[in-house]
Amino acid sequence: MEAEKAMIRKLFSEYYGQAKVEVPFIEQREFGVGGFRKKIESRHMSFATDEALRNYLVQDSPLFISHSIAYYKYPEATPMENKEWLGGDLIFDLDVHAGMFLTPEEIEGVTNDAIKLEDVLKEEFGIKEGEITRVFSGGRGFHIHVKSPQFRKINGDERREIADYVSGAGLDLSKFFEKMDKYRIMGPKRSDWGYRGRFCRIIQETLKEKPSKIHRGLKKGEEKNKVLSCMEDGNWSRSPIKDIVERTIKVAEKEMRLETVDVDTGVTIDTKRLIRVPNTIHGSTGLVAKKLDNFKGFEPYRDALAFDSGLLKIKATQDLSAQDFANSTMEKIKKGEEKEVPKSYGTYLILKDAAILV
Amino acid sequence: MNLNFACKYPFTEEGKQAIIENEIQISDEIAEKGVKRIVAALNREYRPANPVHISDQLIEIGSYGAARMLLAHLKNRYLINKFAIAEAKKASYLMGSENEANLEKLRKELGVLPQEFEGRMVLPIEVYVRFTPKSVDYRLINRNVKGGFVEITPREVIRLMEEGVKMRVESVGRFPNAPEVIRKNSERLMKLVPRTAPSKMSFKEGDNPPCIEKLLETAKKHQNLGHQGRWTLVVYLINKGMPYEKILQIFSNFPDYDERIASYQIKHAIKREYSMPSCSMMLSYGLCIANCKIGNPLRWKAWKQKKQ
Repeated sequence: MEAEKAMIRKLFSEYYGQAKVEVPFIEQREFGVGGFRKKIESRHMSFATDEALRNYLVQDSPLFISHSIAYYKYPEATPMENKEWLGGDLIFDLDVHAGMFLTPEEIEGVTNDAIKLEDVLKEEFGIKEGEITRVFSGGRGFHIHVKSPQFRKINGDERREIADYVSGAGLDLSKFFEKMDKYRIMGPKRSDWGYRGRFCRIIQETLKEKPSKIHRGLKKGEEKNKVLSCMEDGNWSRSPIKDIVERTIKVAEKEMRLETVDVDTGVTIDTKRLIRVPNTIHGSTGLVAKKLDNFKGFEPYRDALAFDSGLLKIKATQDLSAQDFANSTMEKIKKGEEKEVPKSYGTYLILKDAAILV
Repeated sequence: MNLNFACKYPFTEEGKQAIIENEIQISDEIAEKGVKRIVAALNREYRPANPVHISDQLIEIGSYGAARMLLAHLKNRYLINKFAIAEAKKASYLMGSENEANLEKLRKELGVLPQEFEGRMVLPIEVYVRFTPKSVDYRLINRNVKGGFVEITPREVIRLMEEGVKMRVESVGRFPNAPEVIRKNSERLMKLVPRTAPSKMSFKEGDNPPCIEKLLETAKKHQNLGHQGRWTLVVYLINKGMPYEKILQIFSNFPDYDERIASYQIKHAIKREYSMPSCSMMLSYGLCIANCKIGNPLRWKAWKQKKQ
């Protein structure tokens, strides 16, 4: 493995020699680095400038480098309390549990989730375009860094509320309804925001497309209109159907789940988290944790390659299926077979322990 | 400086000013009143005093200051939390019938400042989540959220302000070198505190899943837990075979503990033989913190043993 390690470090160093790696407010960030043993082998590092960071990356070429989501007065101080926490970015980590490679469906799924999350952050959280940094994680998903000043000082519990909102954790549609007295049930209105508004939109769509899904009696225009009118002022007692609340909840529940985004709550709530530095290389894949202008259309095995040209001779340590990579289709490789492959692909396989250098 | 305002809301800057401008000293009388104030909090007496004469108002303000000094000297988390709850409830009661000018003053001081957005009363999300009470109804996911704001009613603003008062009063600094009058009255106070607090709680680390550990930790720190959290904890402990007396002992750690009520609730839960909520129910209650994927918190030990 020594030959592989040396080659990898050399490749990483060459990449960092020409890469643009910038960290906003770098002097306030703690850094952590890792190698072949684990992602964070040491932390409490700091750099005064982007140039200093770049020089370090070229010289030492760590497999992993992360920076704190937090801003500290003394980022290199230990223990943690001595760093003096000044605030932190709001971070979302979207991941998909994949095999050695992400399938096109998995890429599409996690991309759609990232787009959904971005929409929620902008429309519901009021976050501006310039405050969002989109990053491919370098592995199996995306990171979204939110640098809005208004969320900078919120603590872990407060971040949990936001993470739960986004992921739908604790969503209980029955809480949208309230029995005011024996005759009156108040519930969501069309003009409501957030999940309540979404609930009404789903029911409205269902009434338009397939009202029998709620109740077969709603096929009649008059009955349907009564339910629609409930959503005008939120007075659900007006519905002709006795158990309209339970029926609409049952219909909406599945659809509402589709509107949530499965984020790693543990990442969002941790105010002292270290997150991969954008535009650095992920040491388990050799792919770049690329900063993106847009999630749509991004293809990790085409757009996140660190090493463009050149071939590498490798020997597979397990059977490898054909795989789209670097704008080509890499052929199947049998266990024990030797082959010349593009550098990025070869590095990927070596870092995944699926190949060795020849 | 409005003395009436300072007397009603001694935790405010105006309250501090009142002490400074009137040179209120911590006399024996005021320290004793401070003790009484804390004991009243322990007994859940939340009706605010209503002194009319200036001299009585000054003593009332002084008693708050003295109570804070006593708590800072004792550093007893249980007493601090109980006191904070009481002061918050008193303030909330007064705010319910307060004039708009004073309410505005309080809103500014606590930082709970509603705005208008698309014709609705709202709070910025980051303010809302800071003052959210531990209740399912206030969870962000159950609220109207848009453009960085959460819709809110005037009554809910007061509820959030109550949380703000509690947070402010809970934040008690250190008080080394307490004067004799404080030390003497601290000893008097501790003799009056019920013997059930603070109780010992010992659990082997790793015995319980993270969600339950968090609930137990909350009790250990003498912090309050919402209804759902308490119910879940009691059901878990019953299902783990913990005897009634031990459960009562754990619950005695909560700052608003009332033995009669807690005893009734625990006995009722034992009688009803409630099943432990599943992990997905825990998630809907907002109590899941780790996504262990074990189906039910009761499976934790078996799952851990299997993992080993």
